[in-house]
Amino acid sequence: MTVLITGGSKCGKSSFAEKIFDSIKGRKIYLATMKPYGEEAEKAIARHRILRAGKGFETIEKYTDIGELELDNDNSVLLECIGNLLANEMFRNEQVQISADKIADEIKQISTKVNNLVIVTNQVGSDGMDYQEGTELYISEMGKLNQKIASIADTVVECVYGMPVILKGEKPC
Amino acid sequence: MIMITGGAYQGKTAYAAERFRLSPEEMIDGAVCEYTELINAKCVYNYHEFIKKLLRNGEDAVQCTTEICDNNNGLIVIMNEIGSGIIPLDREERSWREVAGRCGCIIAERSDEVIRMICGIPQMIKGGE
Repeated sequence: MTVLITGGSKCGKSSFAEKIFDSIKGRKIYLATMKPYGEEAEKAIARHRILRAGKGFETIEKYTDIGELELDNDNSVLLECIGNLLANEMFRNEQVQISADKIADEIKQISTKVNNLVIVTNQVGSDGMDYQEGTELYISEMGKLNQKIASIADTVVECVYGMPVILKGEKPC
Repeated sequence: MIMITGGAYQGKTAYAAERFRLSPEEMIDGAVCEYTELINAKCVYNYHEFIKKLLRNGEDAVQCTTEICDNNNGLIVIMNEIGSGIIPLDREERSWREVAGRCGCIIAERSDEVIRMICGIPQMIKGGE
């Protein structure tokens, strides 16, 4: 099962994603993509650790090239989140890298390998703002990547204050 | 009329082109097109940019949108949702957001179908199946 969970910032996406894992057996991997840079990131990570505590997740931190991970078919992976992963890939060098296709391929590959893959992403680009070139490119790559992941996902869910709105497939839990 | 909305880069234009079998020539860009073109057009995208252009020219975008709805009731309007950020400090940006919201409500009201795109997935929020 491959599930994509989207929504605005702080709308309960992670909690909902973790809830799906309550009924999942086997090795549960939390694939963390956020680089712990600065106080805010550390706070966010600490908060998520507490939320996940006791739920049987094994945490793997991988900020880029998630295709390199060795995963088995009894594994269930919670990938959090696409927003960070895309930023890490795009801005890893001085020259901005177009990364949506690369990440989509890696996700497709992981989804066929593991038992369950739940992906948390983010909706950006509904504020009507004009941003500078790099940010505008990031927003367009986010849109493109989300569309690609949604097309291979069995289920796509939008969270609204923790309430799941099903966009594709069946309610996962 | 049919309205297709959603955030930026959610697959709105691709959805319209595929579902209504529109050629690129049948889809005009609101950022650069003229009012007269909209009266005969099949489909306009970036309608929120058309509104911005009207405001810059000192025109009444609400009045203009109403006239377009009256005179081309088969038009497919593609328009971004732009109101989910902080209210801008800049007066021009602020008024654009406000007027775009009002125009969007008029278009949705006049449309038989309103579709909201997210991650390339259409959600029927008015009419449709």
